[in-house]
Amino acid sequence: MGLLSILRKLKSTPDQEVRILLLGLDNGGKTTLLKQLASEDISHITPTQGFNIKSVQSQGFKLNVWDIGGQRKIRPYWRNYFENTDVLIYVIDSADRKRFEETGQELAELLDEEKLSGVPVLIFANKQDLLTAAPASEIAEGLNLHTIRDRMWQIQSCSALTGEGIQEGMNWVCKSVNSKKK
Amino acid sequence: MLGYVWQWVYTSYLRYWLKWLIRQVTGKCELQRICSRYRPGATRTTSAEYSLRSSKSRVLRGALESSQDKLQQCVAEIMKEKNVEPQKDPLFKESLHTCLLQITGYSSLYMSVEDLRKQVFSSENGGHEAMILKLWDLLMPNVKLESRLTKQWGDIGFQGDDPKTDFRGMGMLGLVNLLFFSENYPKEAQHVLSHANHPKLGYSYAIVGINLTEMAYSLLKSGALKAHFYNTVKGAPELQHFHQLYCYLAYEFDKFWLLEEPESIMQFNQYREKFHNVVKTHLQEPDVSLTLTLSSKNERK
Repeated sequence: MGLLSILRKLKSTPDQEVRILLLGLDNGGKTTLLKQLASEDISHITPTQGFNIKSVQSQGFKLNVWDIGGQRKIRPYWRNYFENTDVLIYVIDSADRKRFEETGQELAELLDEEKLSGVPVLIFANKQDLLTAAPASEIAEGLNLHTIRDRMWQIQSCSALTGEGIQEGMNWVCKSVNSKKK
Repeated sequence: MLGYVWQWVYTSYLRYWLKWLIRQVTGKCELQRICSRYRPGATRTTSAEYSLRSSKSRVLRGALESSQDKLQQCVAEIMKEKNVEPQKDPLFKESLHTCLLQITGYSSLYMSVEDLRKQVFSSENGGHEAMILKLWDLLMPNVKLESRLTKQWGDIGFQGDDPKTDFRGMGMLGLVNLLFFSENYPKEAQHVLSHANHPKLGYSYAIVGINLTEMAYSLLKSGALKAHFYNTVKGAPELQHFHQLYCYLAYEFDKFWLLEEPESIMQFNQYREKFHNVVKTHLQEPDVSLTLTLSSKNERK
């Protein structure tokens, strides 16, 4: 229901394919998010070796979501998937404070990539279901998001586990795709 | 369409009439005929399972849900219900008991595996910590782990500084599988690890292992492993038999991966699916037995 209504909003541009790239450190929750989007079971998830892709189709719209593994060893492959990306979704484990610096660095590098220039970025401050999770505002500040001037960006707190906040984030994704086309 | 109608007519009427007719002629019930016609194994147990499940008698259907210690009693009740005289068919009792052990054992194996999967790896649990450290020592006997949180975990294919976040949906089942392979087949596990660390054809040993645990788990859950366990375990299959199957998958996947020479680790899911299909095809064969056969058997002596 949630995703359907988002897709309905894209109705003005029929048969449009949207390429969404899902990146972030390992154990951030990218695959769980992907499965939530596709309304699949999330209880048997394993670490992503390589990538997963899912297309969610509805009313002539096709959302192609690429979930690329986040382990350090395969981050060099991320760039192979940059081309023609419409929206970048960057997933952060809000409870993994020890790696805020590392995740900030990776994000900064992504935003410097030529092939991703101008691509709208949504940052999911994931795992808000955990008591130790940092609020989105704190993460935004830590990552200096307010200094981003060359593209649309948004930070959204969510829990891929419970589904909370995902729809709001995806609403923004669709909005940004539409406004880019205009 | 006609096929469906025929199927329906057959299972609802014809099958019973036919069974009754054959029973009058041969003097044996369907279960007796199954037990005497087939050798012990998947064909016999699968046929018996089908016969029991589609029976009209509550006694026969109930036997499939019975607990292991009540099976002797179930067999006795079935023999009474079906008027089987032990003197005329002395082997029947034992054969049916074995079939029932295998059938009910499969369900209880699934429950034990599910329990283990639901156990979350916890750093506060001394047992869990000992296991993860033991896994390191078995796979890397000549290298000392510098600390509990270290990049070294990457050398055996975990993603980050702490392996605990990699078990995820497979919980302790993933760790127990990895450890079982290393404990029981130390040479093979190290051999596979050396392939995994290959600069070009390499992959992440531990997390690929956890992915293969998921494969074994979902095959078990779907019932696809029945024929394999009916053929390879004489009684009720136990956890160790599930771990053995994991060892088979870990060893065979490595061989498969090397033969296929994928372009890079990014192709993993594609080849995992291909391998999954190969395994599923094997599992359709009535005499399937997915056991690790060691190519280096003579070497090991």
